[in-house]
Amino acid sequence: MVQDLTWHEICVLADLEDEGVYGVELGGLPIAVYDVDGEIFATHDICTHGLARLSEGFLDGDLIECPLHQGLFNVKTGAPAGAPCTEAVRTFPVKCEGEKIFVAITEDAA
Amino acid sequence: MVTTSAVQRNWPSKGSSKIPFWVYSDPDIYAQELEKIFYGPHWSYVGLEAEVPNKGDFKTTNIGERAVIITRADDGEIYVVENRCAHRGVKFCRKKLGNTAELVCPYHQWSYALDGSLLGVPLMRGVRRKGGMPQDFNKADHGLTRLRSERVNGVIWATFSDETPDFETYLGPRMFKHYSRVYSGKPLKVLGYNRQRIPANWKLMLENIKDSYHPGLLHVFFATFGLFRADQDSAVDVDDTGMHGILISRKGEQVKNEVTSQIRTFQDNLNLQDPRILDYKHEWDGPDTVGMITVFPSVILQQQVNSLSIRQILPRGPNEFDFIWTHFGYADDDEDMTTRRLRQANLFGPAGLVSADDGEIIEFAQDSLKTYGDSEVLAILGGHDVKCEDHIVTETAIRGMYRYYREIMGL
Repeated sequence: MVQDLTWHEICVLADLEDEGVYGVELGGLPIAVYDVDGEIFATHDICTHGLARLSEGFLDGDLIECPLHQGLFNVKTGAPAGAPCTEAVRTFPVKCEGEKIFVAITEDAA
Repeated sequence: MVTTSAVQRNWPSKGSSKIPFWVYSDPDIYAQELEKIFYGPHWSYVGLEAEVPNKGDFKTTNIGERAVIITRADDGEIYVVENRCAHRGVKFCRKKLGNTAELVCPYHQWSYALDGSLLGVPLMRGVRRKGGMPQDFNKADHGLTRLRSERVNGVIWATFSDETPDFETYLGPRMFKHYSRVYSGKPLKVLGYNRQRIPANWKLMLENIKDSYHPGLLHVFFATFGLFRADQDSAVDVDDTGMHGILISRKGEQVKNEVTSQIRTFQDNLNLQDPRILDYKHEWDGPDTVGMITVFPSVILQQQVNSLSIRQILPRGPNEFDFIWTHFGYADDDEDMTTRRLRQANLFGPAGLVSADDGEIIEFAQDSLKTYGDSEVLAILGGHDVKCEDHIVTETAIRGMYRYYREIMGL
């Protein structure tokens, strides 16, 4: 299934320099953007366990640690990777053009 | 809440057949009771396994004045942990019963697994590399305090002390045999609760159950309808320490004799319109129809005909305690037996046909005990010693408790 993606520019690479993770809002949708060794990923910014922004958490390799309860998600897949998180966080396709970072808002996999 | 008394207390007489009024009202004595008794080397009742049957189930209760949570964790084990956040000491869990994936304190959202281990600390690493917990902070050091606990034939017991012997040893062989009669390991089923606050010292409730002198006298319902009479076959058993006791009664053929004829309310021409409230359907070995066990210091385990109840004592200062009744049956009871147990439970609880008298009379006792500190209560019926008896015209079980009490309190 191929779908034409609509790309939205949301930030630039410099935004990720300090922490490797950066939070943005796109039309009310909170998105966390990650830099994993130069490769960029994006997930929904709200933890599936407690009400907290993953972009305020701690990025360690490809794992984001939620600031509220230290639960972990793999930012590449959205999969839960540490208690107390058990439900995957939504991920979004990302592309870079020069300094600019774009995401596409796809429907959740059925 | 309480004022400090600077008085050095000395037990005024030998033995335990006279009890000074001040043990019921002195705030210093009460503070020592919490430390030496409720938080000391004793098992306290906290609940039934049937109250937390599924993973994630929890129940809150108290031991002394300390709040605890009983949980059924993911491993199926039962844990008893303090209801006290490891961060700022908040008694955070407010529900009596529930089911949850984790325990969370609302103040700063510290979250704990059901076994009490600390799962999450908000902003542990700070925000944007600012603040947060110090490098040496280790979550493993900051779980909820876990108590020693034992599951004994469906009942959950807990203790704060490492020195408490195992539960069976704590009860002693005689009392454990009595305990195992109702609590044989057959799965139990909770039927309901009563809760009441009684303005009296907590020890008066244990004494009330150890006092086999009063049932046929105070409880006009018993005397009138012949459920409990001084002339019926009965016994009092105490364990070797004197801490615990049981009052046993056997409903049987009774004759009017000198003892019952002294009771003004005894009238053999009065009959209950619906006698089913007293009707005993034989279900345990032996002739006993009543078994009232006191397990020092927290609980009364009661079997009265077919009704089964646990009465838990939660002290709230020297002059008040909460009294929690758990009425139960066996999981495999048929509908008829459940109805029978519930019907008979009308004798008990705060407004019970019998138990209402107890709450009120110990309130009257407290009214007086707290105002005459140096006077003494008499517990001399049947002599001055502590021993098992094959009758109930004795206060030996009260003397047993106070013999032990003097020892543990150093009085």
